[in-house]
Amino acid sequence: MSEDLFRDFWWLVFPVFGMVMALFGVLQENRRIDQIHDRARRQLEGK
Amino acid sequence: MSFTQFFAAYWWLMFPVFGMLMAFVGMFQTERRSNQTMDLIKSYVDQGKDPPPELLKLVAQQSDWDMDMSGVAGGNSRTGKAWTFVVFLALTAGFGTGYYFMRAEEWSFAFLIVAVTMGVMAVGSLLLLIFGRKS
Repeated sequence: MSEDLFRDFWWLVFPVFGMVMALFGVLQENRRIDQIHDRARRQLEGK
Repeated sequence: MSFTQFFAAYWWLMFPVFGMLMAFVGMFQTERRSNQTMDLIKSYVDQGKDPPPELLKLVAQQSDWDMDMSGVAGGNSRTGKAWTFVVFLALTAGFGTGYYFMRAEEWSFAFLIVAVTMGVMAVGSLLLLIFGRKS
């Protein structure tokens, strides 16, 4: 049964991959903004 | 109803649910980040210092989650608007083709709904490209 399911929906790996990449992109963007904030905060505190 | 039957009937729901989740999370995160950035800039101004340029760039930068449909890629630029049109047109063509080949299936309406939605978005972005602000 799971073989049938895979045969019918194998093409879903592409949109699911897109979703994973989108999530990955959001996480990376968040990390980049966090780094900018941290740097600015350290600069402000004179460290 | 087994998992296989359930999945076969409702697989398409994963796309709108994912979209809704991403929109929800994105909007809240954008709000929080904007507030943090503005607080930091305010602290700099309060201390009489110039805020770092990268911080100012963050404020000016348009977020993907801003509800501004004038062009996702490239903000308000003409290239960005043209690219948005191309993306929506490609999605319309893709889902339209999917519908054409799968139209005999019971669930083919899902392709049609997405194709029509993307088509409307493509027309909208084309109108923005032609009649929108030239900047």
